[in-house]
Amino acid sequence: MSSSPAVLRQQEDTMPSAAAVTGSETVPAKPQTPAPSFGTLTARWYRLNRDRLRALAIGTLSLAAFLVVWHLLTTYRVVFFVRFINVPTPLEVYASFTKAIHDPKFLMHLLLSCRRIFVGFSLAAIVGVPLGLIMGRFKLVHEVVFPVAEVLRPIPAIAWVPMAIMLWPTNEQSIVFITFLGSFFPILVNTLHGVSLVDPVLVRAAQCLGARERSIFREVYFPASLPHIFTGLTVGMGVAWVSLIAAEMISGQYGIGYFTWEAYSLVQYADIALGMIAIGVLGLGSSLLIRGVGRLVMPWRSK
Amino acid sequence: MNDIRTKPPQGHIEVDNFSLSYESIDGAVQAVTDTHIHVNPGEFVSIVGPSGCGKSTLLNAVAGFLKPTTGIVTVDGEPVNGPSAERGMVFQQYSLFPWKTVRENVEFGLKMRGMPRSQRERAARTLLGLAGLEAFEKHYPERLSGGMKQRVGIVRALATGPKVLLLDEPFGALDAQTRVIMQQILTNMWQRLKISVLFVTHDIDEAIFLSDRVYCMTARPGSIKAEIPIPLERPRQQSMMMSSEFLALRRGLMSLIREESLKAMGGEINDLGMQGLTIELQGHSLAEVI
Repeated sequence: MSSSPAVLRQQEDTMPSAAAVTGSETVPAKPQTPAPSFGTLTARWYRLNRDRLRALAIGTLSLAAFLVVWHLLTTYRVVFFVRFINVPTPLEVYASFTKAIHDPKFLMHLLLSCRRIFVGFSLAAIVGVPLGLIMGRFKLVHEVVFPVAEVLRPIPAIAWVPMAIMLWPTNEQSIVFITFLGSFFPILVNTLHGVSLVDPVLVRAAQCLGARERSIFREVYFPASLPHIFTGLTVGMGVAWVSLIAAEMISGQYGIGYFTWEAYSLVQYADIALGMIAIGVLGLGSSLLIRGVGRLVMPWRSK
Repeated sequence: MNDIRTKPPQGHIEVDNFSLSYESIDGAVQAVTDTHIHVNPGEFVSIVGPSGCGKSTLLNAVAGFLKPTTGIVTVDGEPVNGPSAERGMVFQQYSLFPWKTVRENVEFGLKMRGMPRSQRERAARTLLGLAGLEAFEKHYPERLSGGMKQRVGIVRALATGPKVLLLDEPFGALDAQTRVIMQQILTNMWQRLKISVLFVTHDIDEAIFLSDRVYCMTARPGSIKAEIPIPLERPRQQSMMMSSEFLALRRGLMSLIREESLKAMGGEINDLGMQGLTIELQGHSLAEVI
């Protein structure tokens, strides 16, 4: 070994890479290695990303297989317990999709649903997160609010539809209210859970550094709960879509849920599948959006 | 420094007539009883004792997290009630804020004091530089080794310029080699800062190596069993741990602790253990050793 004792002694507390660099400097001068060729770089990139590429390839194949099975089942109008007689083929759905994207009415349905989700979900987050934090921090608030929340929580948002129609003057408001309710409880419960898991030693550390109640809330409880808050937001977003679609189907005049139900009434079967796929894509997109925001807000959690 | 009056030395900890008990279904349980300790300004004092003897309880009372049942804790004559930045604390579990970078962690105390951002950034950089951590200022704690985390923990506690530094088994979670390095770093830092330190540990070597004085506690309910001055010269080096002076101190302290550990483990093995102990102590009466 040609490394000096000083290097050895330092090793514990220096980065391994730093130690490696010092180590390689003591290696007798070798002819300079040429810059790696495009081929080696590609091979290296492939080795590092093999797992992801594999998942991508298999994912694409399985989606393709799904389409093929769907195509076969509907083209041959299979009846085997389940009846595919009236189910549209993928091509029919595609045709109605190309028509629909030029139809301002369809776009309006989409836009309205998104707006309802945005308003209902945002309200739920704006109320649910602070309420959860305060409930987790102040016993009295917890003791007062928790029993009520526990009774209301198991009621599915759909069961609120008649009540919502009575409570709110307009249809639009009652739909937003139902969306709000659907996402509110997952957000509240997860935030509360996050606060209860905050490491008390971190609170003590903050107190020893001169933090008062307010700073502890902002600097410790809130960031420490963020991972659970985002779990709540992700779950809440899922339930928000479930509630929204149900509410739109029952009481709506517009929205993608209403569009899907209307398609059934009007015997436009291709539009049923189109509506369903649109709901799926929007739901996926909104949860990806939350995950992205979560990554931005919690940089310490990404590798 | 330019002050005409010389500032009185700071960081005098006084724990008087201290006891602490907590309620349980079987009535009050005594954790610590009838304890008097003090730390002189600039002195490094350790508390050792068997596990569960209440040494951490005592430290937490000095920090202000626990209220004594009887007695009083004062720092420079002022009674402690509640935690404050005057008493910096370092925890065994590092307790760095995972959502803050190394520098933001160090800045935290200064931020709480309302120091403007640019100023506290500069202060934090200087301190991290002294601890050899400037290259890691933008890292999140998760990416640091245990030894580095605890260095950040110590720097963070010192950043606000506390009167006393309290350490609760700070190196307990580290591997043996890292622990030795950290002890050296801590003693060097203390040599430079001359801040009053109260250090809790169950590691006897660590206590002797670092301290001016060591308090040895009894098994629960904890109280002070012995107070042992450590006359080893300073500055201290790891090589001193092989000196006969050090080993004599170690032997004395070890037997004190073992006695209490056996007590803590239960009466039956007590006699058996004591037999072994007398054999160990042959040729060295306790008084002689201490």
